[in-house]
Amino acid sequence: MKKINFFSTFVIAILGCFIILQTSCRKNLLDQPPTTELSPDVFWKTEADATAGLMGLYASARPCWDRDYYFDGQAEFVRTRGISATAGNLRLGDAYQSSNTGGMFGPTNYGALFDNMYKYLYGVVNRANYVIFNVEKMQSEGTSASTPVLETIKGEAALLRGMAYFKLISMWGDVPYFTNVVYENSAVAQLARTPIGKVKDSIMADFAYAFDRLPVKASQLGRASKPAALALRGKLQLYWASWNKNGWPELEGFTPSAAAATAAFTAAAADFKSVINDYSLTLYLNGDPGTIDPPGKADNLPNYYYLFTPKANGNPEMIMVFTHGGTGTSQGEELMRDFSGRSHEGSQCWVSPRYEIADRYQLLSTGDFGPKLIPMNPTTNPNARTTLNSAVNPASYDNRDYRMKSTIQWDYEMSIGMASLQSTGFVPFIYQTWAGNVTINGVKYITYNTDGCNSGYVFRKFVRNYAGQGRSDGDYAWPVIRLADVYLMYAEATNEVSGPQTDAIDLVNKIRHRGNLPPLAATKIASKQAFFDAIEQERIVELIGEGQRSFDLRRWRAIERVWGPPGSPGLFRIDTWGAQPSRYFQNASDREYQQDYIFRIPPSERDKNPNLTQNIPWR
Amino acid sequence: MPKLHCLRINYLLSVVTLLFLFFLSPLFSAAQMKTISGIVTDESGNPLPDITVTVQNTKTATVTNEKGRYTINAAIGAVLVFSATNTETASLVVGDQSEHNISLKQKITALNDVVVVAYGRQKKVNLVGSVATVNVDEKITGRPLPNISSGLSGLVPGLAVTQNTGMAGRNGAVLLIRGLGTSNNSNPLVVVDGMPDVDINRINVNDIETISVLKDATSASVYGSRAANGVILITTKSGKGMRKTSINFTSNMAIEVPTKGFQFMADYPRALTLEQRRSATNTLPANLLFKKGTIDQWMALGMIDPLRYPNTDWWDIIMRNGAFQNYNLSATGGNDKSNFFISAGMKDEQGLQINNNYNQYNARFNFDYKVRNNMNTGVKFNGNWSKFIYALEEGFTDPAPTNTAGFDMQYAIAGITPYDPETGYFGGVMAYGEDPQAYNPYMVYVNTLTRQTRQEANASMYWDWTPIKGLTATLDYGLNYYNQFSWNANMPAQAYNFQTKSFGSRVYVGPNAPIVNNTNTGYKTLMNARLNYHTIFKKNHDISALFLYSEEYWYDRFQGSSRNDRLFPTLHEIDAALTDIQGTGGNSSTEGLKSYIGRVNYTAFNKYLLEGNFRVDGSSKFVPGQQYGFFPSVAVGWRFTEENFLRPFLDKFLTTGKLRVSYGSLGNNSGIGRYEQRATLAANNYIIANSVTRGFVNTKLINKVLSWEATNVLDIGLELGFLRSRLTAEIDFYDRVTTGLVRPSDLSILLSGAFNAPRTNIGQVRNRGIEGNFSWRDKIGNINYGVSANVSYNKNLLEGWNEFIARGATSGGANIFLDMPWNFVYAYQAIGIAQTWADVYNATPQGAQPGDILRKDLNGDGRIDGNDQKAYPNIQRDRPTTYFGLNGYAAWKGIDIAFFLQGSAGRKDFWLNAFNNVNFSTARYAATWNHWYNPWSVENRDGAWPRLGGSGNNTVASTFWLDDMSYLRFKNLQVGYTIPKKLFGKTGINSLRIAGSAENLLTISSFRGLDPEKAGNNNNLYPINKGYSLVFQLGF
Repeated sequence: MKKINFFSTFVIAILGCFIILQTSCRKNLLDQPPTTELSPDVFWKTEADATAGLMGLYASARPCWDRDYYFDGQAEFVRTRGISATAGNLRLGDAYQSSNTGGMFGPTNYGALFDNMYKYLYGVVNRANYVIFNVEKMQSEGTSASTPVLETIKGEAALLRGMAYFKLISMWGDVPYFTNVVYENSAVAQLARTPIGKVKDSIMADFAYAFDRLPVKASQLGRASKPAALALRGKLQLYWASWNKNGWPELEGFTPSAAAATAAFTAAAADFKSVINDYSLTLYLNGDPGTIDPPGKADNLPNYYYLFTPKANGNPEMIMVFTHGGTGTSQGEELMRDFSGRSHEGSQCWVSPRYEIADRYQLLSTGDFGPKLIPMNPTTNPNARTTLNSAVNPASYDNRDYRMKSTIQWDYEMSIGMASLQSTGFVPFIYQTWAGNVTINGVKYITYNTDGCNSGYVFRKFVRNYAGQGRSDGDYAWPVIRLADVYLMYAEATNEVSGPQTDAIDLVNKIRHRGNLPPLAATKIASKQAFFDAIEQERIVELIGEGQRSFDLRRWRAIERVWGPPGSPGLFRIDTWGAQPSRYFQNASDREYQQDYIFRIPPSERDKNPNLTQNIPWR
Repeated sequence: MPKLHCLRINYLLSVVTLLFLFFLSPLFSAAQMKTISGIVTDESGNPLPDITVTVQNTKTATVTNEKGRYTINAAIGAVLVFSATNTETASLVVGDQSEHNISLKQKITALNDVVVVAYGRQKKVNLVGSVATVNVDEKITGRPLPNISSGLSGLVPGLAVTQNTGMAGRNGAVLLIRGLGTSNNSNPLVVVDGMPDVDINRINVNDIETISVLKDATSASVYGSRAANGVILITTKSGKGMRKTSINFTSNMAIEVPTKGFQFMADYPRALTLEQRRSATNTLPANLLFKKGTIDQWMALGMIDPLRYPNTDWWDIIMRNGAFQNYNLSATGGNDKSNFFISAGMKDEQGLQINNNYNQYNARFNFDYKVRNNMNTGVKFNGNWSKFIYALEEGFTDPAPTNTAGFDMQYAIAGITPYDPETGYFGGVMAYGEDPQAYNPYMVYVNTLTRQTRQEANASMYWDWTPIKGLTATLDYGLNYYNQFSWNANMPAQAYNFQTKSFGSRVYVGPNAPIVNNTNTGYKTLMNARLNYHTIFKKNHDISALFLYSEEYWYDRFQGSSRNDRLFPTLHEIDAALTDIQGTGGNSSTEGLKSYIGRVNYTAFNKYLLEGNFRVDGSSKFVPGQQYGFFPSVAVGWRFTEENFLRPFLDKFLTTGKLRVSYGSLGNNSGIGRYEQRATLAANNYIIANSVTRGFVNTKLINKVLSWEATNVLDIGLELGFLRSRLTAEIDFYDRVTTGLVRPSDLSILLSGAFNAPRTNIGQVRNRGIEGNFSWRDKIGNINYGVSANVSYNKNLLEGWNEFIARGATSGGANIFLDMPWNFVYAYQAIGIAQTWADVYNATPQGAQPGDILRKDLNGDGRIDGNDQKAYPNIQRDRPTTYFGLNGYAAWKGIDIAFFLQGSAGRKDFWLNAFNNVNFSTARYAATWNHWYNPWSVENRDGAWPRLGGSGNNTVASTFWLDDMSYLRFKNLQVGYTIPKKLFGKTGINSLRIAGSAENLLTISSFRGLDPEKAGNNNNLYPINKGYSLVFQLGF
């Protein structure tokens, strides 16, 4: 009995083993399909697939623009002391990373540090090419006819591709250009740089292609519309005109032409004019200044402040945006983390206003610059807090452009502190008394805490005044281009062609009205130069922290104008107490300026590709 | 089920019967024979106990007693056979006399042992591969070893064991066989009882019988696909060969202290003074952050009001004496039908850091049963359960950039009160001007703990059948299952200022801190079907062959979730939180491996040895067409001492000698992700109309020809036994070349922003080295003693790389260049500290001032830049070139003593980390006493460090900070006493050994940092443990 039992078991086991060996234990042992990723075979069949493909492109493009505020560190009014980006993570700002993050966004010596941006902008190009190719394939194979949905998708992809190339040429000049889908490295490994003019024409074509296909008004927040294509085409032409007018000697092979400049200014103006007039776009809340509290209170903030909070999402002023999601979406922006301090959800204050911006805010009463603020150290000078025009006297900041209170905080300014998604009440900013106890009008406060500010000011712009979202969970739709910028660019373009024009002056005044400033005085519009200065002033104040200034300085070739010529003592950046934390362009060489005007082609790529030339100052 | 039941009863019956027979058998001896007796001695005349004496061809047997005396009944003319495991067998013919004395030659085990090799055992003398074995004996189990990986240190030539931390639960050592062969996973394959991929650190040290380290291609090639980095074969105990059931209890209790620790200054006013000095180099006195009044006030009030003006000695607060306890109970036995080994163990480690605890429970059951004379079956089961508590990933620190507390230990200023029991508040900064982000480590190590439990169940069974003589078929099946759960629910806390009696702005842990739960679970299965054939023909030709088919399958899954806003801070399960903010994640992955393996061994005349192996592996990681890799190897051996023509010359001194040569190739697919070679679209979602919208992107370019990474190994070995094998030597030379190194392809920057670089088989690494193992064993009078030494040298060279390597290029933080070792030293040449302006002017301009380090302008171009760094072709920063170990033991009567020295040389690294920074931040820096005494200043011109806050070049990697990491460690000293059996009388106790053991007793090194064995790290502070243990080993 027992014997049979064992024997039969054994025979069964051997037989079983035999069968197993014949058929293999596990079917398809060597074919293990992935569980969270999608096979491309089942994709690109429907309009929904095409839309999902486009969304992937948007999500890849967003991180090449949505931290452009760091670029303001390359100009004179904003300090970018470092960045919050996570290395290796595109969504969390890897495009703005380099091995030497410290110097990327200083006023000088940054040109060699943008290999990642170069890389990810080409990432956008590849993604866009992929979407356009596959949608066209869907259409040609007849699986999906040429529907408006598919046409719009192609238009949006072309717009994003154009934006990527536009950013590439504005930083590196000539760049390799391709629009095909790449399957292997050898297809692009030996590409040479395409002259900037040709690339510019191709971008123009992409923008025109996009313009033809995009809707007048975006169907949903987050998608592009006709005015976006038009405004960006205008901006491209304005830049092209600037390079032709002012020259770009660091870019080999580029010959500026006055005629081309004028033509491009004219064409830019036409595009801007169409954006301004043909799409019923208005400034946020019609450009009304709104209400303001006196220094030291922040219950009522001007409309300009709210333009940079999620309240403005979807507003017609925002012509082209990249959207973000709040808590739990893993798609938040980090504006608060970068623009405010520890008192605001443990933020890190990577970006702060420099002392020098304060004097740029004009007086409501005169519509012109006020007397210069005087830095004073309140620990050594008992009168510092009360002296007229003292930088640490809150009263010195009264009667200013509304955009000042909306943008920066000086001593005793209040903002809503927050921790653990709860409001901790008002936090007064008092320079150098980080997280100290202070009693103001009988109320006890703990002061603003940051180790990131060395000027005496912090930003209010982009910092939410309500709790509920973490420092990395912002849902603000970042504007790549907005109507106020288009107004100012229109004014600049027309001024270049034919001097101050009435409609241009009106537009600049509309922007000034937002700060509750009176219209420009006659002297400011008396000449082409005077009006240009007025436009530049508005660009500085209106667009601070939006990543425009350093590109403006370069296309205007204004670095010497701002910092002094090569070999000069350069300039200090100071704080409200009069200390001089940093100095730039001291005895700087010509080469240093040249290297600020054009970026370095990534040398790692040149090591592999002999056809890739280097920009002059980087040889 | 009934079948199993049957089996069990049968087994029990047989055990009982056997035991019964065993005890009664002497009573039934043949009576008509004559009784003879005698004394068995060794060569020196010392009596040998426990020698088995049998009458040949009968079942009559006895054992010698303490005095070597035996008594047995045998007929005249019968042959008595004397045998024991540690002596050579001898025999004598029974004569007329009644007293028969004999002396036995001591067997030198090293060359006569049977060695565990892949899928079997081989006699060491017939081995043609390079295999080192470690027998886990009482000397190893007597050490306070948290795991066996750290216990292997210094025992095996060619096996580099690096202990990077003493953190309880993370103190497994990094193992590397014969140098770094790949930039991918370079860990050896760990096989436990035939099952690959077992976590070596979870094995109960007491369960292990032997460890074989397979170093060359021949020995490892049957594990070919993943054996490129060598194999560590661990065999657990079984009852085989046991005649009597024995029960053993072992206890090991140790206290642990750091080998060396940092000397942080528990003196806040002094630290603030240092902050002032550091700032003074570029700040006007009026702008200094810390005012003199602040410092003076702290100095005065610190003496009377430690709550408001603390001078906290953080090390004292966050450290404790570690404790290690290991208790193990096992039983083993067997008869001619079955064998068993059963064990249960408990390990409790309390780390040097507060709240760093690790507990593990182990249970093992190994059982074999002879079903028929030609049929065996058996099961092995091992279960383990662990509980692990820790604060940060590395204990005090966490290298992940996402953990903002990870690098903060350097900001643990003395001016923070850790905790006030009266109010229940954790302190924050209080000094005027201090950075509110300064760190309270006590808060972190108390409130933000991760608790992780893990259960593993590893079971395997086999059935073998020998239908005809020499041919055995075996079927193995094994399953390893694991389940790991970890949770965090940090306790809310806010920094409190005891001076102002208010909360500061720093919220250490917010009241809405989440509950985070993570579950990892999965299994791995293994199915082997194998055929063994062994035959001897014409007496002198011994052939054995193995064919094996194997399937392995892995399944892993992860699920995690979190919710903010606990209902109450003491609750820590997901349901005990509000639902408004929550997060989830989950995924799984699988992998398959199919292998065909063959091996042939041929031994002719016991002196010519030949072995051939092959393995074909198919892996699901590759695309069809590239899935299979073929890894063959061949080896020959010559036991030249068996040659008659050499005998006359060699016999006098050389007892045994063997020359062996092997060559073969081994594979590695660890550099490729499970689904990396599959065309897939990855999710990349976007926000449309304020809600998440799905998006897909193509991030892959597939390299259709990617396949296995191969390592070719040539090994030439010489094994010698001198003077009756009392002195043995084993010397190996090897040359390992990894070809087809799997590397990300060199993708154009025009593509790398969109696509992950597909991997490609490019790159070549060579490791060439020599290793030797020498041992001497003998006996003087009553003293048994032995000494063995091992040494190994390895030279590592990077020979191929698919990318342009620029000067100063790094890969994964390691310096690389062709024909240079991986992570070679690349350093500026320091001249020294400039004492005067004259020194500065005489040197190349480099922005230095007196007190700064001056560097040499190596290329003489008048400036110091990256081109002035010098490469050292023979020195690696990560690992030594030379390792050595020296072991000795002596035993006299019941007393035994053993020592163990271990060390390495050939590594240099920079001593530059967050805690010896001379350019520390101008606030919140936890200075050490070195910062007080060492920096150069006008008053301290002999200072060992450059000035505080000097040139940034003072902290670059120059020879100034380059330290020789060579060290010699007194790894273990053990003294034991085995209490004589007779003292126990009838208590049933068979043996009791009491021992004291000291681990990491002394380290001799010129390294200025924490420990020369630790990997270079900017941040990791966890010291290596020094332990003193008391051991009881009790046998019934």
